[in-house]
Amino acid sequence: MKALLYVILIAGLVPIQSVLLPHVSVWGVKPDIGFIAVCLVGLFGGELEGLLVGLALGWVMSLFSAEDLTFSMVTKGGVGYVAGLAGRQVAHLTPVALVVGLLVTSCLAGLLTAVALKPNDEQDLWWALRAVVLPQACFDAVVGGALYWLVWNRLNVERWVSEYRA
Amino acid sequence: MRMVNLRAPYNARRLAFALAVILLLGFLLLPSQLQGVFQQLGSPVGWILSWPLRAVASVRDGIADLWTGYAALQGVEEENRQLRKELEYLQGQNSQLREAAAATERLTALLEFKAQVLPSMIAAQVIGRDTGNWYRTIILNKGESDGLEPDMGVITAVGVVGRIVKTTAATSVVLLATDPNNAIAGLIQRTRDEGIVEGTTQGLAHLKYIPLLSSARTGDRVVTSGLVGGFPRGLAIGTITRIDKEEGALFQSAELTPEVDANRVEEVLVIQSPYVPTEGERLGAPSVKPKS
Repeated sequence: MKALLYVILIAGLVPIQSVLLPHVSVWGVKPDIGFIAVCLVGLFGGELEGLLVGLALGWVMSLFSAEDLTFSMVTKGGVGYVAGLAGRQVAHLTPVALVVGLLVTSCLAGLLTAVALKPNDEQDLWWALRAVVLPQACFDAVVGGALYWLVWNRLNVERWVSEYRA
Repeated sequence: MRMVNLRAPYNARRLAFALAVILLLGFLLLPSQLQGVFQQLGSPVGWILSWPLRAVASVRDGIADLWTGYAALQGVEEENRQLRKELEYLQGQNSQLREAAAATERLTALLEFKAQVLPSMIAAQVIGRDTGNWYRTIILNKGESDGLEPDMGVITAVGVVGRIVKTTAATSVVLLATDPNNAIAGLIQRTRDEGIVEGTTQGLAHLKYIPLLSSARTGDRVVTSGLVGGFPRGLAIGTITRIDKEEGALFQSAELTPEVDANRVEEVLVIQSPYVPTEGERLGAPSVKPKS
């Protein structure tokens, strides 16, 4: 059941990311909804689920991007794994802590990508930081925080989850 | 405040750690092999995922059409007047161009130019954009099953769009000509100087390696040179807006405004088999007749 949910999640995120989100991009930068999803899955599902969903999502997203397949898989898988580890260390999670966590993680993942890609002379680290990494991290944090607030506070998903577990 | 997961069993943690290590080692030790496997597996997965992608794209297009249709009605009278004026101007220009075309045809026949073989093309629709922020790409609704392959050139009636870099069974990813990682062999139409067109981070393009003695100037059109695969000769790439000449440099470079606005591209043509001239044809060498 859970696996099916994750498959639906992955299949749904690809069109959202490549068809709908380019319309809300600011200065050509859009939030990485896959990154946010992997972080949330890792936080609430543990490191194994975070890693597997991250790897799958990284792979699938790379099929619709010029980005290197290996790097996309390793980054998203790694983020899911780290989010799972973080989820184990944190007893209570406030939306503010989540937003800050997403901001820092997105910055680190973006910097890692910028250093690893080193695409050409024109795209140096400063350009990457200014034009992609920081705006995307802010976007990810805001969208992630909003999603968390919407899903957990408004839709009361936690109650459904505990009922489902019981 | 919410309680975060604390219930994952010890085995799951060990399994996750082992998986992470194995995959990381695999990608470090056998990068190309593993990438090849995942790329091949991705082809059918891409086909399956192309369905929700197409569905969402068609819903988006429907909404966009509805909105455009409504918005278009607002200024339709003014637009109509403008179009009539433009039509009159174009009719005049058309007759001049017909004359020029007829003259070119006569001259071509006179010089016994070998007619360039038109490449076969496949029409495709743009259904999405890059899932990341690092590359400027578009996603097409056709892929390997339609005969598309990496490195094929993509154009519109206006000019060059980019080059295919990745394919699945039903989709293709096209790296735009305005992406800094793309390079296309270009030619200044007026001066016949060749160079390499690369994208810039601002979404424009620049022509590099123009000879120092070239008389290229602002307003010159740059077209594909047809020397390296993907594109036949003479497809519009852009117009020069600035020439950069640095003291002591071996070459000059020029900034271009691309002919195609990649943000508004909806349908494209993929060049399947570009005409690549041989070195002899390029240099205009006479063909050798077989001995009888």
